[in-house]
Order: sequence, then C-alpha cells, then structure tokens
Amino acid sequence: MNIKEMRERAIKRRSRWTGLLLILIAVGFLEVLSLVQAYYAQRGIRQEAQAKAEGQLNAAHSDIMNIVNQAESAVRNSVWVAQWCLDVPDSLPNIPKLLVNNNPIVAGSTIAIVPGYYKHTHLLAPYAAITNGEIINKSLATAEYDYSSQEWFTKPIELDRGYWSEPYIDKGGGEILMTTYSFPIKDRNGRIAAVLTADLDLGWLTVIAQGIKIYPHAFSTVVSRNGHIMVSPAETLIMNKTVNEFAASSKDSASLNKLNRAMLSKKSGSMSITHEGVKSMVYFKPIERTGWSMNIFIPEKEMFAGLKNVNRKIRALQFLGLLLIALIFHAVAKNQLKFKNIADKKEKMENELHIASSIQMSMIPKIFPPFPERKDIDMAATIVPAKEVGGDLYDFFIRNEKLFFCIGDVSGKGVPASLVMAVTRSLFRSLANHEDSPKKIVSSMNDSMADMNESSMFVTFLCCVLDLHTGQLKYCNAGHNAPLLFTNKISSLDVLPNLPLAVMKNFEYAEQEGILHYDDAIFLYTDGITEAENSDRQLFGIERLTKVLSCRKGALECLQSVQNAVSEFVGNAPQNDDRTMLFIHFLNGHNKKENTKTITIHNDINQIHDVFNFVESIAEEKKLSPTLTSNINLALEEAVTNVILYAYKPEGKKECDKDMPIDITAVWGNDELDLIITDSGIPFDPTSAPKVNTNISADERDIGGLGIHLFMTIMDEVRYDRINGKNVLTMKKKIV
Amino acid sequence: MQTNISKKDNNIIVEFIGRLDTPAAQGLSKEVSELQKDADKTITIDCTNLEYISSSGLRIFLSLKKATAQKGGKVIVKNINNEIRSVFMMTGFLNLFEIV
Repeated sequence: MNIKEMRERAIKRRSRWTGLLLILIAVGFLEVLSLVQAYYAQRGIRQEAQAKAEGQLNAAHSDIMNIVNQAESAVRNSVWVAQWCLDVPDSLPNIPKLLVNNNPIVAGSTIAIVPGYYKHTHLLAPYAAITNGEIINKSLATAEYDYSSQEWFTKPIELDRGYWSEPYIDKGGGEILMTTYSFPIKDRNGRIAAVLTADLDLGWLTVIAQGIKIYPHAFSTVVSRNGHIMVSPAETLIMNKTVNEFAASSKDSASLNKLNRAMLSKKSGSMSITHEGVKSMVYFKPIERTGWSMNIFIPEKEMFAGLKNVNRKIRALQFLGLLLIALIFHAVAKNQLKFKNIADKKEKMENELHIASSIQMSMIPKIFPPFPERKDIDMAATIVPAKEVGGDLYDFFIRNEKLFFCIGDVSGKGVPASLVMAVTRSLFRSLANHEDSPKKIVSSMNDSMADMNESSMFVTFLCCVLDLHTGQLKYCNAGHNAPLLFTNKISSLDVLPNLPLAVMKNFEYAEQEGILHYDDAIFLYTDGITEAENSDRQLFGIERLTKVLSCRKGALECLQSVQNAVSEFVGNAPQNDDRTMLFIHFLNGHNKKENTKTITIHNDINQIHDVFNFVESIAEEKKLSPTLTSNINLALEEAVTNVILYAYKPEGKKECDKDMPIDITAVWGNDELDLIITDSGIPFDPTSAPKVNTNISADERDIGGLGIHLFMTIMDEVRYDRINGKNVLTMKKKIV
Repeated sequence: MQTNISKKDNNIIVEFIGRLDTPAAQGLSKEVSELQKDADKTITIDCTNLEYISSSGLRIFLSLKKATAQKGGKVIVKNINNEIRSVFMMTGFLNLFEIV
C-alpha cells in the first residue's frame, strides 16, 4: 500500500468515524427530544383526559342530581299532604299511592308512623309500589319486618332531615338495585310523627355510568356511602362486596385502598391505579346529598394509544431521517476524499507551477548589470507576475555588438499564458541568433505562432535591435504599447501598432528606425505598469510613470523606484496583471562631446565653400593647426563631394535631383572631432569601396576613387550606417 | 582660385593660385583639355601659391600625367607646401610626379 492509499484510507476512516459520531449525537439529540416531547405530550394528554373525565363526571353528576332532585321534590311536595293526613290516619295510605302515581321515577313509597304516635296503633306503614304498571298496596308493619329499626326509618329521624339510604337489592320486586329517600314528617306541634319514603330504581344509574365511554375500555363505578359497589362493569361485585373488601382481596390493595379512602371521604380528584397489571388513571367525584362517589377508570395504554401511534410514526420518520443523514455523511465522506484529492492535485499543480515559474524565470536574464564589463550600456529589467506564472516576457542579449531586446505580453495569465510566453521567448532567441532585422524576427515569430495557435492566444511584442556603436535602433512592433524614450526630454517612441503575434499569418510587419544618442535611454514596459489599479479603481497611468522616471538615475534604481511607486499607489488592491519593465541607458554613440555644430547644404558643388567655412569656424574655435584643419577640410570635402555628386543621382539618370539636403554635424570634445554626414540619397557605403593602390604607375591608376581614399586615410575612424532611410557617414579624428 | 597658363617653346607653365577644390577643379575642364593637347611638351605646375588641393585637383594632375605619358611630354610639380605634400604622400602622388 502506498502512502497515498494509506492517507486515503485514513481519511475514509476518519470521516466514517466522524459520521458515526455525528449520527450518535443526532440519535441522542432526537432521543432527548422525543423524551421531552413525550413528557409534554403525555402531560397534554393527561390534562385532556382529565378535562374529559371531569366533564363526563360532571355531566353524570348533574344527570344523577336531576333524578335525585326529582325524587326529593316528589317526597317534599307530599310533606304537607302527609301532615294534613296525620290527623286522619285512615287517609294515610293515599299518600304513598299518590306519590307513586304522580312520579314515574318513584318505584315505591311508604309513610311509616313513629311507633306510639297513635295511641291505639303501634306500627302503621302503608306502602304502595308500582309493578307492571299497576299500583299494589301493602303494609310494611309486619311482625317479621320491624320497620322501626330499619335504617331508612331511624336515620331521617335521627338527623331530622331527608336521608338517602344505602342501596339495596330489592328481593320482592325482581332483584332490582334500589335506594330509598326518607324524609321526616312533623305534625303541627313539630313532633316527628312519621317518615315518608320514595324508593328509587337505580337502573338509570347504571345507564348513566355506562354511558361514560370516553375510551373504549374506560369504565365507571359508583360506590355508596358505606363502600358498596353500586355500579361496576363486573356485575358480580354489585352489592356483593364493599370496595374495601374488594381491595383486601386484590394484589393491588395499597393503591385501591388509597382510592377508596379518597372516595369514601367524599373527595374529588384523580390518581394512578395499577390493577391486575393494568395501569389506569382514575378520576373521581362525590355525588352530593346521596353520599355516593363516582369514578372513571381510564387505562393509560388507551389514554396514550394515540400518542403511542404518533410516537411510532415519529420514530419511523426519525429513523428515516437518520438513515438520510447517514447516507449524506457517507456521500460527504466520499466527496471529502474527492475534495482532498482535488486539493492534493491543486497543491501538486501549484508546486509544478512554482517549478514552471522558476524555469520560466531562469529563461530570462535577470542578473543586473547583465554586462558588467561594458561601459556603453546600463540596463535592468524586472518582471512581477500577477499569478504564480506570468504571461509577460522580456529578453535581451548582445550579438555582434548589437543589443537584441524584446518585451511581450501574452493575452491571458497563468499556465497557458506562461507556456505561450516560453514559446515566444525561445522563438525570439533562436531567430535573433542569426537574424539582424527585427522585422524578419517578428515576422518569422508571427508565422510560427499563428500556425500553432489553437488556443487563440496572442502576444503583443516589441522587438528592438540597438547598434551599440552608433546608437542606431531598429525595431518592429507587434501590437505592444510604445516605449518611453529619454533624450533631453521624455517622449513616446514612435511605434506603428501593426498586429500582435499569432493573430494573422503572413502579416506584413513594418520595421522602424531611430537613433539613440549618448545618454539617451529607452524604457519598455507592459500595460501591467500603467494599468496597475488601486482600490479606488484608479490607474497608475503614464503621467505618474513619467514623473517617477524623470529623475534619470541608474537603470536598476529607475526600475526600483517605479516598482515602489506602483506598490505604494495600488496599496492593498490585488495585482491583476503582470508588471514588466526593461530599461536601457545608452552610454555610447555620438554626442558624448560637449560641442555640436550643424549645417545643412544642398547637393550643389558650390556649397563646398560653406563646408570649408564650417570647418574653418570650428578650427578657429578649437584653435586647430593649419595642417590638421586642412586635412579635416579635405576629408569632409571629399565625403560631401561624393554625396553631392552621386547620392541623389538615381540609377539610369544622368542628372542629379536638385536641392536635396545634406546634413553635416560636427561634434567635438577635448580630444576628438566627429563629423557626421547624413543624406537621404541612394544607399552607398563608401567604406566598402575598393581600395586605391597608391604604389602603381600613373598608367595603371584609375582616375577616380581618390576622394574616398583620402578621407578614409585622413580620419581615424570612418563608419557608414544606413539609418531610417538615410546614409549616415561618421568620421572621427583625434584633435589633440 | 586663379589659374595662369603661359607657354614658352616646349615649356608650359601652369600656375595655380589659391584653393584647388572640387568646384575649382570642375571650372578648369576647358583649360585642362587645352593642356592635354600640349601633352607632348613639358608641363610645369607651379604650386607656389596653391594653398589647398582636393581629389578633383589631383585628378587634373593625374590626367595631365597620363596624357604626357602617352604623348612623350612630362609634368613637373614645383613648390608644393606641406599640406599638399602630405596629400601627395597619402595618394602616392609623390612617386608619380617629379617634384621640384
């Protein structure tokens, strides 16, 4: 396994663990969330169940009270009749009869006389009951049934108010659960004379209790004052056991006893009961006046069934959610690996770019001064790429005393631009190594690059060739911006735009010429300098550039000050283009002497006198010896005569063109005089004219050629150049 | 530039006074062709007052020399100053002419 795989595995493992951990956290969070949710949901459900139960209990209570009131009213409404009838004992049986007859809810009724109230009758209790729609009259005053000891008789007398008896099963009337309301009757003297009762069939109580069905398995029970079970879904218990007995027989007696105590003490409320493994909520409420208590059992299972259902659904959703999260993590982990790989690749690429950048930078000369042994040029160049590798280039080298230099800007930046830049630079090197003409160099480069230009990139390029002796500057521009030219002023070098390289094959590039004099300089740059932008989106501009450069220091210092000025100007704004500069300070050529004199003559031989006077004036000024003056005069006359007689005589013509100008410039310092003759006539290089043999006889000698021979002999150095379509003949003579 | 030509029997004396520069030499074409007719004689070029000579002047000297060489005459150059002597030297004329 290689390191990369190991790393990938480690990353995979790490992301898998991270994923698992995050999922666990999510699970924990969801668990807590669902617990909290369940708590509040349960509380809500409990509250709702309680409200429901209480509502039902209240409703049942008022139903019961309704009937209770009816029964009580029925009895009370008969009280005054009963009082009235006390005086006429024979009429007493009418009272229960009326009560039963007038009140359908009353199943039976009696008026039982307190023993001893009538002197002659000890026990008297006429009873009426309704059976199958018919009223039956009988007497409860029998030997077996001593009514005077029955609870329904003694309690109301004892309490001196109406009293509801313990419920009981009526054996006579068909096993019916009954209760009796008894009310003491007082005579006119306020003595309790009798007890009037109304028997109530409690069938309706079961109906009411069973009507409470808030949950399918919820049920209701009603217990009596003494704890007898009056209503229960378990019918065998009814009036068979008291709740306390029931509790005692149950495994869950503790909680049942608690409930019983609460209910029998006529409290209302709720509690949780577990009975036979079923946990239920019990809501209970006492029923006024009767001493009964009613409750509702709601099994919690059922109460929370809805919640459970919802919970199940929520759980399912949570599971799905977690699954989704897990899947996402899986995908993310995978992608992370991918991203990591991309990042690795990017890093690798950046490394390679860095190497490419170094290679690229090593291609261009960057040790300054580049030609420390030369006194005739001082030059420096810099390139500051905007990105790791740039699309700008410069290059220079010296061949045959000519300085070849160039600057270029590839459209675009980054790697593609740098590749094009490398191609451009190597083309320049290889072509300029054997070709002197910038036009030819540029044209060949253009043709090669246009051929292979599939990426539609182009290069603005300026190629220059500077003759280090004469200062003659030949250049050919391919869409690059004009360099700055430093003479006694700063100006832009006159450049034709032409077309950038690689735009159009076989484009006819125009070559131009100029001349650098001693102390002149040329500054080539890319638009990254002038278009350097600050945070206010202002451009550095040519004015600032000119101002910085106007101080005219050494080449390196010049570039440094431009760089500083640009950096200071842009501040924190990001560099968006390569910045490249090339500065050449020319310290050779003419004009290194302080004095200059120029005359312009025309191609008329008689103007030789003016040339003579011109030399005489210089000789006088410079106090030259007559011999030297004569020699200089002779050399200049010969050179100028040559031009006058031949330069403006086009081939095939006998006569010269008239009034054509000839410039004669004399430049001298302490020890040397330069004479420069410039004409725009047909190209002619006198220095390459055949030598005159001065050692042969007159017969053999040619009549011509002596003039050239003379000035070549007299002067210390004679140079011919064709500059800007002009013949430039430079003659130097030591004048010490 | 002034030119005096005097003939005495077989001797012709040509006196150049001043500067024999190109315009001057061009102005002497008539005189020169006259002299070339007398190339069978001895032509003495008196340079006592000749200040300056350019290649055009030298051509006159040379053409006369060539002509006399053909016709059996001869050219004698008399009294050249130092400047002209150096020009003669540079051009090899010192060897071509009899200088007195």
